[in-house]
Amino acid sequence: MRKILLIGFKDVTLAFRDRAALILMLAAPFVLTLGLGMVTGRFSGNSTSGVSDIPVVVVNQDAGDLGQALVDVLNSADLADLLAPTAAGDSAAARQAVDADEAAIAVIIPAGFTDSIIPPQGAAAADAVQIELYVNPTRPTSAGVVQAVVDEYLSRVEVGRVAGTVAVTQLVASGRIAPQAAAAAGQELGQRQAAEAAAPIRLQASTAGQAAQRFDVLAYLAPGMALMFLMYTVANGGRSLLTERAQGTLPRLLVSPTATAQVLAGKVFGIFLTGVAQMTILIAGSTLLFNLQWGDPLAVAALVGAAVVGATGWGLLITAIAKSPSQVSSLGSAIMLTFGILGGSFISLSTLPAWVQAISKITPNAWGLEGFTALALGGGLPEVALPIAALLVMGAVLFGAAVLLFNRQGLVQR
Amino acid sequence: MTKIFALAWKDTLLRFASRSELLFFIILPLVFTFILGGGFNPGQADSRVRVLVVDEAGSALAREVLDALAASTAVRPDVQPRAAAEEQFTDRQAAALLIIPAGFAQGGELELRQQPNNLNAQVAERAVRAVIGRVGQALTVAASSTAEAESRQPFAAAADRQAYFDAALAQAETLFTEAPARVTVTRATTQDPVDYDPAANASAGQLITWVFIPLLGLSGLFAFERQQGTLRRLLVTPTQRGTLLAGTIAGQVTLALVQMTLLVVCGAVFMGLGWARAPLGLALLMVAFALAAAALGTALGTFVKSENQASGLSMMLGMAMALLGGCWYPIELFPEAVRTAAKLLPTTWAMQGLLDLVLRGQDVPGVLLEAGVLAGFAAVFFAVGVARFRYE
Repeated sequence: MRKILLIGFKDVTLAFRDRAALILMLAAPFVLTLGLGMVTGRFSGNSTSGVSDIPVVVVNQDAGDLGQALVDVLNSADLADLLAPTAAGDSAAARQAVDADEAAIAVIIPAGFTDSIIPPQGAAAADAVQIELYVNPTRPTSAGVVQAVVDEYLSRVEVGRVAGTVAVTQLVASGRIAPQAAAAAGQELGQRQAAEAAAPIRLQASTAGQAAQRFDVLAYLAPGMALMFLMYTVANGGRSLLTERAQGTLPRLLVSPTATAQVLAGKVFGIFLTGVAQMTILIAGSTLLFNLQWGDPLAVAALVGAAVVGATGWGLLITAIAKSPSQVSSLGSAIMLTFGILGGSFISLSTLPAWVQAISKITPNAWGLEGFTALALGGGLPEVALPIAALLVMGAVLFGAAVLLFNRQGLVQR
Repeated sequence: MTKIFALAWKDTLLRFASRSELLFFIILPLVFTFILGGGFNPGQADSRVRVLVVDEAGSALAREVLDALAASTAVRPDVQPRAAAEEQFTDRQAAALLIIPAGFAQGGELELRQQPNNLNAQVAERAVRAVIGRVGQALTVAASSTAEAESRQPFAAAADRQAYFDAALAQAETLFTEAPARVTVTRATTQDPVDYDPAANASAGQLITWVFIPLLGLSGLFAFERQQGTLRRLLVTPTQRGTLLAGTIAGQVTLALVQMTLLVVCGAVFMGLGWARAPLGLALLMVAFALAAAALGTALGTFVKSENQASGLSMMLGMAMALLGGCWYPIELFPEAVRTAAKLLPTTWAMQGLLDLVLRGQDVPGVLLEAGVLAGFAAVFFAVGVARFRYE
């Protein structure tokens, strides 16, 4: 037992002394978490991820009230965070701003817009004059937001128009007002009703998770990055086994009165310990630097242990398959990145089809992320029992497979 | 010239000595582009955001809401029994869950549950709000019209009131159906009509990422030769420092151009992207980007101590710069300050230039600024690299 511990501790010391390895073990996950936090607005106080300050160019050529009302909506205090509108003199200048990628969308209100909805006294109803939205194709999300705002405004205008018409027609039909008074009553009623009418359908929107505890976007991103670079650490650990074989220190260990199983167990213990140390440093660091709440400490510790067991299994399997230390490195990097994307470190798994979500279950990343997210949302040990069990089974199965392969090749032969 | 060619050829052989390099050269970039570009839902399949819907009302109004949702361009309703829907939502398999409660017939409250910090959940909320706004319009008008009538002269019986309401509702529905479109949406393009395609973002972003990292890794080549002592050996031959640097860099830049061409061809053939639209502009931008990245790698090479350090650093810096440059997620989603700061990175300019070509339909004049900035990066970093270059 002492020998196993000695070999394990030696490998941990070696791993943390290797400055090149530390870059990918500790620096890279930190830097990328920091970057993700920056691009999601986690550090700029705007914690609802999404768009803000959308540059909109507005051209109002309409002389009536409705065009100006839309301009007022776009400039309203409610939308001040979301939109950053600027006025342009003519439509050519507005289109130019979108073409130059200075704006996400141009809203062009042509002359006669109001008159086409509310015909002036005595005039016949004109053809519909359309507002033009000129959209920047590289900013579909921002443009979609503005489109929704304009749609909502137009639907209110439409309600006003229809309400006025319906009210007057029905009042006249039921004999409540005289036909001569219709035109005058129509406009007044329409405007009043569009403003007053309560919507018959309301929406109660809520966000999953405990209401009191806002979900921190970093609670998803930080474990995602940590788990991805955990795969590097375990592959690097496996590499040290092959390096020792190539340098001849492994045969030397084996001629000493130390059983092959002890050597292997020591090596595995070393990889496991390095992984746990890496995760612990990353978790402690992000707690202190980013004020990130990981959740119930006991459950976090259990989940870290299980995730490292699962990842270590993969590290051993890679080592057993590869023929040289450099092959372990490149295979390890490839698997690290592939598992990263399959396990949800880059994009949410919910956007992928069911069969990819099923495949993702072979990665420690997917199970680990599921567990860490549950803990960050206030869950405890019972909520992460399934991920922990799955990770432990994964580790055991892969360890068995690796031992079989090692036995077939012999640990010391090339 | 022969020397430069010989040096470039030597580095190519070194790089592909292990066949696993092909994984990083072409296979993984394609896999990542495919996954991030929504390659799993090509063309005919539905790329709208899935919203779980539980319909416990079964009323005509509920059906109207469902029909309107189904017609939405942004979301796709997936009606499920409550238990199944809630389970899927808890497992984060869908971005949002809409519940139409029992008794929802003349209006009432719908419940929408959203995943935290999820862009698709925001899209779902916007779409649901738009739909209920439309579905509710006729009801709103009929109710207010009836109230208006009642305030002027009360109804004799409840049946009269209902008849009045029904007549108003029917007229309102007709008027809304006949209402003309009052808004028209056009996509900004210069010459050709270009459809927005999320795959274009993924293709451009992954191209930059996977070319950028190995070019930064150029730093490792110098460290490797310094460690092996082969740089010193070259010193005793009549080879100038400039020739050596030029040979090494030319080799890597050529490889990068080959890699980019392969990725672009795959993007055009398999994902139908418009890469072929402006070949000259594309070539200009690719050369400028490869030079800028290689220059950064050369400068980095004078700071690193070992090959391993160089490969770790190039992976970390490459991924971070790709992320901040908008290669992984659209830069429009970033906070203003980050968007401005990212202008300091070559990846941002390369991405902007590629999107100008593939989405905004521009050609050489449209990418001159981006290519110029990239050339500027190249000049500055080459100067640093050459000034600090040491043989040992």
